[in-house]
Amino acid sequence: MAARAFQRLPSAPAGRILVLRLVAIVLSLFIIAGVLALSGHSPVTLAELILRSTLGSRFGLEDLALFMCPLLLTGAAVTVCGTIGLWNIGAEGQFYAGAIAATGVALGLHGPAFVLLPVMTIAGILGGMAWITVPTLARAYAGVNEIITTLLLNFIASLLTYYLTTGPWRDRISGAQVSTQRLPVAIPEMWGIVHWGFPVAIVIVIALALVLSRTRWGYEIRIGGANPEAARYAGIPVRLRIISVMLLSGGLAGLAGMFEVAGTVHRLQGGMANNFGYLGIVVAVLARGSCLNVIPAALLMALILDSGIVMQTQQLSASVVLAITGLILFMIAIGDELAHYRPVASTTPKGKAS
Amino acid sequence: MIALLTGMLATAVLAGGVLALAALGEVLAERVGVTNLGVEGLMALGAVTAVMTVSSVPSPWVGLLVAGLVGAAGGMVFAFGAVVMRANQVLCGLATTFMGLGLSTALGHNYAGQPVTTTFGHVSVPVLSSIPVIGPALFGQNILIVPIYVLLPALVHFVMFRTRHGLNMRAVGENPAAADAAGIPVMAMRFWYVTIGGAMAGLAGGYLTLTYVPVWSEGMVAGRGWIALALVIFAGYRPIIVTLSALLFGLVTALSFVGQAHNWPIDPAFLNMLPYLGTMAFIIVPVVVWHRMRRVMAAPAALAQPYYRDVR
Repeated sequence: MAARAFQRLPSAPAGRILVLRLVAIVLSLFIIAGVLALSGHSPVTLAELILRSTLGSRFGLEDLALFMCPLLLTGAAVTVCGTIGLWNIGAEGQFYAGAIAATGVALGLHGPAFVLLPVMTIAGILGGMAWITVPTLARAYAGVNEIITTLLLNFIASLLTYYLTTGPWRDRISGAQVSTQRLPVAIPEMWGIVHWGFPVAIVIVIALALVLSRTRWGYEIRIGGANPEAARYAGIPVRLRIISVMLLSGGLAGLAGMFEVAGTVHRLQGGMANNFGYLGIVVAVLARGSCLNVIPAALLMALILDSGIVMQTQQLSASVVLAITGLILFMIAIGDELAHYRPVASTTPKGKAS
Repeated sequence: MIALLTGMLATAVLAGGVLALAALGEVLAERVGVTNLGVEGLMALGAVTAVMTVSSVPSPWVGLLVAGLVGAAGGMVFAFGAVVMRANQVLCGLATTFMGLGLSTALGHNYAGQPVTTTFGHVSVPVLSSIPVIGPALFGQNILIVPIYVLLPALVHFVMFRTRHGLNMRAVGENPAAADAAGIPVMAMRFWYVTIGGAMAGLAGGYLTLTYVPVWSEGMVAGRGWIALALVIFAGYRPIIVTLSALLFGLVTALSFVGQAHNWPIDPAFLNMLPYLGTMAFIIVPVVVWHRMRRVMAAPAALAQPYYRDVR
């Protein structure tokens, strides 16, 4: 055992976290390269191919923006919930609920796009909010663990989507499987296939960052998350704040579903949430509770998804992306913890031998 | 009516076995203060490796053993992050689930959709299986039912509440600092019980593909790991209650089968929602109806808190 000792700091310095996260990501990439090499793929050619077809091509960049759009919103959804100390693991289900509500409006109402799109947007937000209502009330009034309740609703939402897309709303025109017909309206495109939902999502994330850091409501949320007892003592209605934050979180994820169905996929399909809800958790972790950081975090996550498309063309299954994401998340969790340690003189009696 | 009841109970016991194994493993991990949200992923890994193993070694026991070992290895990976490195348990658990689900799909690519032929066969214990209603369910299905529902929970209950080791174990989950001061190896205790919990999640996955649903397909674990986590909370971290609630839960699953078999006028998609809706009701309703529930069934005090000897 070396004679170095370490002391744990209560909060980790940002610079140290950044360094350790880079180390964690590089280590993960090495592990992935090793596994790929063992299974007979050349990691170097694969990396070249990925770089060329994601950042180095117009289509790659367009896909990147399309992946970022839902990730920005689901990432923000998990982040705002995390501000008050709660985990919304159900963004996947709220995403479906938003998509279902928006599709219902598009299929059921008739009118010009400039009327339908706002109504669909509101329906999407309300759908996401409705989907998180039960976990919200159970958390606020009975203290029921929100991780499990939000998560279970994901399965129900996905079954409901399956039911609608194979039953009452199934495609009767082109006969696509597990899908509705093409929606009559779409969010207009602004750059290639990238629709206007993308800049709107960025604006929303920035606005949320301002609301959380500059308003009284945001302040109360942050205090409620940091120290609920102190917040209650200071007269902050913590229960009401929990309800408002969780509903906001559900609404954001629902909006992501509406953007995806009206801007990218153009129909409600089984499996269309594409793990965006779960990956939103990863984005939120990468963002470390700051809404502004959600933007670079969503970019990184979108890059991983984008490279997943390339991997599928190389006979690697799409699920590899999920495993890679898990590995990176795992390494970053460890890196974040290690960032709390500071080397101290070895004679310190309170020091912990390494 | 008796036939329907017998059939339903048999399905309930069969379906609940998956949850009973996984949930009992999670009770062990949570009692020493570690929430392992990776159960879903470890179950998927166990399920797929069991299928892969029996396709080359035609013995269900070997398949189950490999599933358990893979689960234990996955549990160790999680424990390395969450216990040894003391990283955030929620993150490590989610990461384990992502890795497990992704890896299992990649590994099982060539096995997907092929029926598993080597499974635990039908056994019926001579006299016991002829007891009306419960006989066929408990003693007329496969050889794993009695160990899962009787032997394992009894063993865990005995160790946890009747031995000094069990007292130490619970002390680690309630107050690790005091346990440490009393000379109990907190880290070792946590590491090994999380590993055993992982092994049981792997076994649950193996049980799933070797008895109940003998075919591998992506997403076949279908949230059973999360349901097991919810059952642990519902059962107040008690081994025998958790096993009984897994059985109760199996009944909910059986109900959706019965509904489909008897052509109830409900779409199968809604019947398939029953287990998830049931779980929601399980963990919300008791707390709302009976307020003291939360105190009686309280979680171990140090649950999900990493232990630092030098930071109190």
